[in-house]
Amino acid sequence: MEQQAIWAIGIFLVIYALIISEKIHRTIVAMIGGLLMVGLGIVDQETALHHIDFNTLGLLIGMMIIVSITADTGLFKFIAIWAAKKSKGNPVSILIALALITAVASAFLDNVTTVLLMVPVTFSITRQLRVPPIPFLLTQIIASNVGGTATLIGDPPNIMIGSAVKELTFMSFISNLAPIAVIVLIVYVPIFILLFRKQIQTTPALTKSIMDMDEKELIADSKLLRKCLAVLGLTILGFFLHQSLHLESATVALAGAFILLLLTGEHMMETAFTKVEWTTIFFFVGLFVLVSGLVETGVIAKLAAQAIELTNGDPVATSLLILWLSAIASAFLDNIPFVATMIPMIQEMGNMGVSNLEPLWWSLALGACLGGNGSLIGASANLIVAGMAGKEGHPIKFMKYLKYGFPLMILSIVISSFYVYFRYLM
Amino acid sequence: MELTYQINKDVIEISETVMETDVEFEIRVLAEDKWAGMKKIQKFFEEDRVYTDVLFYAYENHRFRVIVRKDYYVDFILALMKYRLVESAVWS
Repeated sequence: MEQQAIWAIGIFLVIYALIISEKIHRTIVAMIGGLLMVGLGIVDQETALHHIDFNTLGLLIGMMIIVSITADTGLFKFIAIWAAKKSKGNPVSILIALALITAVASAFLDNVTTVLLMVPVTFSITRQLRVPPIPFLLTQIIASNVGGTATLIGDPPNIMIGSAVKELTFMSFISNLAPIAVIVLIVYVPIFILLFRKQIQTTPALTKSIMDMDEKELIADSKLLRKCLAVLGLTILGFFLHQSLHLESATVALAGAFILLLLTGEHMMETAFTKVEWTTIFFFVGLFVLVSGLVETGVIAKLAAQAIELTNGDPVATSLLILWLSAIASAFLDNIPFVATMIPMIQEMGNMGVSNLEPLWWSLALGACLGGNGSLIGASANLIVAGMAGKEGHPIKFMKYLKYGFPLMILSIVISSFYVYFRYLM
Repeated sequence: MELTYQINKDVIEISETVMETDVEFEIRVLAEDKWAGMKKIQKFFEEDRVYTDVLFYAYENHRFRVIVRKDYYVDFILALMKYRLVESAVWS
């Protein structure tokens, strides 16, 4: 193996270990890793820039701007209270309703944003009903990861896959992944009820206090809400049509964001830009450059060759290997760097003669997204909810989460295995 | 030391129920010009970094149920004071 490749592997492994250890912020670590790849001459600056996927970054930034402005209107609180009233104030029905809202919202917004919007209103509802918030938070974490699986924009792994593989459009993500996400949710709902119904009992008086609430009071700015809904609707329509319009998803999201800023006026721009998660954006930049070192030195090609050798190029074995490996890895590692590494590997498999890559891409997406449910550190949304809950005096311990999350994740991967096999490989 | 407060009954109606970990307020804002102040207090506590310090539940006719964590009781009363929803507050 060439000296450059050995250096690239060494840097990659050290950076990966530092990201897992969480001793230093993952963004700083990833950026230093990327800079080392360039600084040590493993990739030149021009090539490194070429590897940064600006479509992923643009899509994330555009959606973050739209959501941050929409959140100020009170829309998400309104929907949650409206759903609680439709559930007749019954805690079990509210638990399911909030989980489903989280899943649907996560399909069209990113998971972290969704839980950041849902958790405060969950605290509010559970406090009023005087029921423990943990069952609600656990089901929302799990639902957000399942919902995020359904679309190209729902979860970072899908954004990255959709951006890397031009043939996989917004519509193809929906038609291939939304059915399995719905099936998994349908299976989960009765399990949620069985697991949590005894923990969330309330009194008729407290139920009535929910029913009497005036949810319209929660809409802080109805004029702004109309603008946000119009732009959000157009943006989602744009995602559905992006291939026919010959536009990348990032162009659609950024167009939505800046049309909304045009409609709302300059005063919203400063606030909206401060709410963009720049740490996440730079984490992606660092990772893309870090992985470029492995691609350019031929390490990824070697790994792909070994994977093909292991499975003899058999599509069933390769798909299931990717599905389960992605799920287990994503349960305990950050799924973003994992997917960043797997994408060039699957592309390389295509170069080596594997003709039908489609089941491999869907296996990667399913494993990486659903695998995030496996442990508390499996996805950013899980950690965000745990952090928020802990700060409010309701800690979600690693083992407590694992008790619920891991079996549910395994169940979803078993269902996905059958789905991938019967839909693509039979 | 306990914080006590006085209200103008033409401006606001307040009743308190002390619970185990929090204090529940039933509030009705009677003076139309003070309603904006109440909404500003709600916005302030909803946008701060603590999610469960002061929780607002809106009902019809300018009525609010407010659940205030005991460690934020003083902050809430002082916020009412700031927007002149209570007339005075003293340590007694």
